[in-house]
Amino acid sequence: MHLLAQDLVNGILAGGILAVVALGFSLVWGIMNIINLAHGAFVMLGAYVTWQLFSSFHVDPFLSLPVSFAVLFTLGYLIQRFLINWVARAPVLTTFLLTFGLSLLVVNVALLIWTGDTKGVTTAYSGTNFTVAGVTVPWAKLYTLLAALLITGVMQLWLTRSKTGRAIRATAMDIGAAQLSGVRVAHIYAIVFGLGAGLAGVAGTLISLSYSLNPSMGQPFLIKAFVVCVLGGLGSVEGALVGGLTYGIVEAFASQIDVTIGTQHISGTGLQDAVALVVLLIVLIVRPRGIMGRATA
Amino acid sequence: MTTASASAAMRKVSLAGIMGNRGALWAAVILMLLLLLVPVALPGYQTLFRTILMYVALAYGWNTIGGYTGYVSFGNVTFFGLGAYCSALLSAHGVNNLFADVALAVVVNAAFAALVGLPILRLKGHYFGIATLGVALAITDIVGNLDAFGGTGGLALKTVDEAHFSIYYYAAWLVTAGAIGATFLVARSKLGYAFVALRENEEAAAVLGIAPTRYKIVAWAISAAIAGAAGAVFAPANGFVDPSIAFAEDANVFPIVMTILGGIGTVAGPFIGAIILSGVNELLARWFIKVHTLFFGAVIVAVVLLLPRGLVWLFGLRGGARTWLKSLAAYKA
Repeated sequence: MHLLAQDLVNGILAGGILAVVALGFSLVWGIMNIINLAHGAFVMLGAYVTWQLFSSFHVDPFLSLPVSFAVLFTLGYLIQRFLINWVARAPVLTTFLLTFGLSLLVVNVALLIWTGDTKGVTTAYSGTNFTVAGVTVPWAKLYTLLAALLITGVMQLWLTRSKTGRAIRATAMDIGAAQLSGVRVAHIYAIVFGLGAGLAGVAGTLISLSYSLNPSMGQPFLIKAFVVCVLGGLGSVEGALVGGLTYGIVEAFASQIDVTIGTQHISGTGLQDAVALVVLLIVLIVRPRGIMGRATA
Repeated sequence: MTTASASAAMRKVSLAGIMGNRGALWAAVILMLLLLLVPVALPGYQTLFRTILMYVALAYGWNTIGGYTGYVSFGNVTFFGLGAYCSALLSAHGVNNLFADVALAVVVNAAFAALVGLPILRLKGHYFGIATLGVALAITDIVGNLDAFGGTGGLALKTVDEAHFSIYYYAAWLVTAGAIGATFLVARSKLGYAFVALRENEEAAAVLGIAPTRYKIVAWAISAAIAGAAGAVFAPANGFVDPSIAFAEDANVFPIVMTILGGIGTVAGPFIGAIILSGVNELLARWFIKVHTLFFGAVIVAVVLLLPRGLVWLFGLRGGARTWLKSLAAYKA
């Protein structure tokens, strides 16, 4: 029973991060029909921005959240404005390949700057934890979850209440009508991609608190973001949150798999990517539009 | 629409798109024949040219699913790796025969692709693309965790002695020639027309009687068989496999870049792209060891934006620079 409760808590703590990772990915996909394969690379950049600030200027990771958002937002805005917008209306395949190329570029530039050595952000509170009813909760992960929930809430408010937020949702619904109403689509697209990248950067900062850093760390998060989107449905904030938490819990339970067949020992912790794939396949077969998804293409 | 006019329409597509530029095709055939001379004429460069041939074969493998059918796979390295492990496992059980290696790899990979394809090829293109990335990561995970596959420590293979080493070169040549030949035949057959029809408009193709999932599975199985065969020859020549070698990022990424540079969904494109990029990569690896993947990323970005249909298309372009520039802004937001 204790173990189950601990797994559940671990899952929720990890799921909060996944929700933020998936949120940006989901916005870009849902609003522009672009599957951003560079999303994992953006997550990695966010983590390195935090690491750089922490190791050079001793900036607390939570204080670097706005910085990594701003840096990644700017990068994302420029990429969309000057590269992706050229092929924004091309078939999905085109932007798919383009962002794949961008991802290779970003990862390898990071490799040149920060080398392939594993790095970590170790604060005064990392490694400390508290225990409630036999369940251990690391402080860093709890703060991370709270930050993730806060960010998700702010995004939801901004998208529904602000003028730009409404222009974004209008563009997603009907580009032509949005243009007629005075929405500058090229600019809105760039803002959406910037937001997606910015959220990835924020997620990277949060991830840097609990995971070690290397330039290819983003790839698994890209796959997970995709699975979370498929789970929760596209383009919605609450979908990303529900999908993220669900996936986090599934993964936490799967990591407890521990069986031995003959001499072959199988442990769930070494098979995280395989777990992601299995979850993805099951959802795609059973419920192709996601848990929260509506019946629109 | 009658069958006759439908096939006439498809033939039109095929002449423009499937075969690619005829001159480019002949250039590929002649170069391929010249490559047969390498072990005799340039024995010191055998390994280099064998690697190039391997990438050519992988590019053709990717082209079948990514180019003709239009379903971009980011997981074809899975088949290369499994092919390599087929040879390694055979060698571990005392079988050291290249024909057996290739035959096993072709069967295993075609079957595996069909099995995995059954659920994921019912999906639209981008879902499929990510699912393949998931397959690649998952299989790498699983193989690294299985004792029978040597885990992360890998498996050693028995290699022939130095004097007979060129048999690996000829084997790689045969696999590559087979891949080109298969692509040529498929492109001219009804099967190839069906692939292209699915790429251009899946609903319309389904209405014309092309069962989408079935044809996509065939395309992916062919793709997997080619990549598997390339892996099956690579492993004994390399003498050792482990998950990081068998499922290397290069073997996943290079074939995609090579195919889109040469011309996606053409017979000559992958060959031209693979030869050019292998050459450039070899020079880069010699002078700037760390930047070759960076360079490939830049090539993808540039090609998608500037040469969306590849070099083969550029060779056949009528109307000069103006037509080209016009085509670039066609999808601007």
